[in-house]
Amino acid sequence: MASKQRIEVRVNQTTYVREVEPRLTLADFLRHELHLGGTHVGCEHGICGACTVLIDGNSARACLTLAVQADGSEVTTVESLRDRDTGALHPIQQAFVDGHGLQCGFCTPGFMMTTLELLRDIPDPSDEQIKEALGGNLCRCTGYQSILESVKLAAQRMKSNAPA
Amino acid sequence: MAIEIPTLPDQMPNDTPRYVGKAVNRVEDPALVSGTVQFIDNLSLPGMLHCAILRSPHPHARILSIKVDAALAAEGVAAVLTGEDVRRWTNPCFTAPEGWGNYCMAVDKVRFVGEPVVAIAASSRYLAEDALELVEIEYEPLPPVANPEQAMAPGAPVIFEERGTNVILSRTYTWGELDRVFSEADRVVSRRFRWNRVGANPTETFGCICQWDLADNSLTCHGAYQTPRFMAIGRAACLNLPANRIRIITHPQGGGFGGKGGPRGTDIAALLSRKAQGRPVKYIEDRMEYLLAGGGQSWDRYYDAALAVKADGTVTGFRVRLVDDQGAGAEGYGTISAAKPLAAFTGNYRIEAAGYDLTLVATNRAPTYPYRGYGPPPHNLVLESLMDCTARELGIDPAELRRRNYIRPEQFPYTVPSGNEYDSGNYEAVLDRVLELADYKALRERQAEARAQGRLVGIGVVNTVEPGVFDWNAYATVGVPGVGVPEGVKVAIDLFGNVTVAVGFNLQGQGQFTVAAQVAADYFGIDMAQVRIANTPSDVALPHFGQGGSRLGVAVTGATLGACEKLRLILCKVAAHVMQAPEDAVALRNGRLHRVDAPAHSMSLAEVAGLMLSRTDLLPAGVEPCPEATYVWASPNRNAPDDQGRCRSYLTAANATHIALVEVDRDTGRTHILDYSIVDDCGTRLNPANVEGQLQGGVAQGVGAALYEEYVYDADCQPLVSTFVDYLIPTIHEVPMTRKDHIVTPSPVAPLGAKGCGEGAIHTTPATLLCAINDALAPLGKELLETPASPHRLWKLLHEDVRRT
Repeated sequence: MASKQRIEVRVNQTTYVREVEPRLTLADFLRHELHLGGTHVGCEHGICGACTVLIDGNSARACLTLAVQADGSEVTTVESLRDRDTGALHPIQQAFVDGHGLQCGFCTPGFMMTTLELLRDIPDPSDEQIKEALGGNLCRCTGYQSILESVKLAAQRMKSNAPA
Repeated sequence: MAIEIPTLPDQMPNDTPRYVGKAVNRVEDPALVSGTVQFIDNLSLPGMLHCAILRSPHPHARILSIKVDAALAAEGVAAVLTGEDVRRWTNPCFTAPEGWGNYCMAVDKVRFVGEPVVAIAASSRYLAEDALELVEIEYEPLPPVANPEQAMAPGAPVIFEERGTNVILSRTYTWGELDRVFSEADRVVSRRFRWNRVGANPTETFGCICQWDLADNSLTCHGAYQTPRFMAIGRAACLNLPANRIRIITHPQGGGFGGKGGPRGTDIAALLSRKAQGRPVKYIEDRMEYLLAGGGQSWDRYYDAALAVKADGTVTGFRVRLVDDQGAGAEGYGTISAAKPLAAFTGNYRIEAAGYDLTLVATNRAPTYPYRGYGPPPHNLVLESLMDCTARELGIDPAELRRRNYIRPEQFPYTVPSGNEYDSGNYEAVLDRVLELADYKALRERQAEARAQGRLVGIGVVNTVEPGVFDWNAYATVGVPGVGVPEGVKVAIDLFGNVTVAVGFNLQGQGQFTVAAQVAADYFGIDMAQVRIANTPSDVALPHFGQGGSRLGVAVTGATLGACEKLRLILCKVAAHVMQAPEDAVALRNGRLHRVDAPAHSMSLAEVAGLMLSRTDLLPAGVEPCPEATYVWASPNRNAPDDQGRCRSYLTAANATHIALVEVDRDTGRTHILDYSIVDDCGTRLNPANVEGQLQGGVAQGVGAALYEEYVYDADCQPLVSTFVDYLIPTIHEVPMTRKDHIVTPSPVAPLGAKGCGEGAIHTTPATLLCAINDALAPLGKELLETPASPHRLWKLLHEDVRRT
């Protein structure tokens, strides 16, 4: 086996230093080294989007990224969404609950991380902009209609809560 | 004493139910959106090994030798499993019909690409996969049987040698005077159809962790199991263990849609654990393994079908000849998919006679498994396409032709020629509402304008009956024994009045935990937050089945109500004793136990339950200190089938009509869905948001089956689909955002009047889209009778004349 490499990754505002094999995927690193199981793996070839995380603020497939590529980066996963102190759901999470935007919930972390990026960049997206953003995430349960509505609900709530 | 299950919500002991019938938030969701739910790959056990599987590259080959020495010596490897171990320790799985099962790994020969041949357990998945590369296998390729025609040809290679044939089952059913109605018909409308293989593809593949206790000779399997007890029985038979020494612990699942459960993966991981001295072994199927050989490939069908029609459009007969490619054996119960259409063979119509000529054939494709709908989606595509062909030939509007043939409201309960009894319905009301919702007249005008511009625009108006709440008797046709499917729960009240409903299944996405919580909360008049739903392992759970056959929402409602009713009787007895009233003078109402003759005197649930648990001295004689009750629900009034397969099988008959407006792009062959409306009737809607989710999710899968998804095999039976780049799951861009409405005709026989509703949309959407496409193609005189109506297939059809010249 190839020798291990030392990496330093900041995940959800905690810094981790680990020795990893170069071939270890970021998804496996997050899930099985750091025990952050919310980043789900659906296809391992970059199509389904269940493993979507933010790397330095940009959405990325954790299954197609090697852990060593995240060295020195800031990674944000679904586990970051809930309020650390109160446990309250993030407005995106609450909107998915209220909008019935999930059924089995396996793809949901990926959808929510994609939505987090979308609403940061476009706080008031049109239906077309939402579809464009979510077009890379597969859901086999919902048929997407309730996801679209949940994202709109989240946008509306986050906008009305945003400081003027 | 007999327990009466309420068949309407207002029969519950609650004047103001707060939850049943409302789109309340799901109890499942806060954990799911937090990413903290323990899907199977989130679980690790101490000392756990990881399994990787080497799979056959050949569709049909004899195994001459397997060398595993180098793999065994590789870093981290703890155990290697081959067909020799499997032959020594296990049995082939049981099937219906009997005798078409495989071992969990290939023994002597391989029968499909992707069949497991060698499995390795190592300290990590990475190392297990490394070791697989050191395994050497010598094969002698055998001629593959690529399709049913080849399989049934004289002298064809035989896939299961001991059977002597590739035909799994061949039989003919005749219901009513079929020959007479066809000979007296003014018109016979017949077509041949090809439905290509599609599959479930839940976002989470199968996974499990198995641990064989060598001292106790028992097996514990954690995993993504859809039907835990059924899985336990199957493992007992395959692994030669007593059934009560198998413990299936089912985890929340990332979708199911039919084939979730992985018997092969479970047996392989279990045997590796046995070889590795009882260390736990995890197996997580990857997506390529799923696409090649996972449970969920379904419906690989060739149809030849006809309607007998009178001049006025009355349809009198429906004849179907089906040849169904089951793949390499019947291990996945794909055979049942050919039996289920009996439950609603003639759809929404008063067709007096029908016939079904059924041939199930083994080939060297991957074995077929259940997929949502379990057979009717292709069957309905055939029936509804023939209705549209008839409408075109007679010059009658397709909606009008259907209306003329509907079973009328006063005819329910209605027994269809194939034997099942529909409980209730009002098909014309559904049709009228959807014609209004879609503004059908305006759609036809849009179509006329588009056609005038030379565009290929079409409309599909399609209705189906969705058999809900399956029963084993529906599948007797292919050799499944039994009548009645139990679903058991235990309802317990604690010292503080909180309620726990213990069930045998786990989350899969449909929201049944929420339904059980809604029902229990309303029954006892408490807050839903006071109800907890708990999963129990298979060895201690009550008899149960779990998700399947559009059944569990209704079944868990029935079971929960039954247990609540039993508890009510006990609580009333205790309260009457304590309040010194006659036993029948106390009633449960709105969460309190009242004296009927003096309603001011009452006790709360917590008071009675607390007293039962802490003051045995105050209990009436013969009452145990146990405010808990179990109930195992099964559909009432089911019966054994006759020699033509006829019986009361599925308990409920929901129905729906879909209307789609589509445009086929002449240049690309791509179908664009311009408008889509749905009206359905599944009786009482226990949680309308759940129902709508089931509908819209079924539409998405129907879009996939109708337009994009296909397990493609080449002429040598090599699968050409191994990634999501090849197998096209619809994205948000392909699935229409649908307009929906409903009417409510409660089931008179099901708990709270609710009908099974998990599969209706996938029953309807493929037919709706194909009918719309053929309506679009009609001016060209062309028809597509094959699914998926993919861009390349439509493009070839549109351009075939050009290519010939």
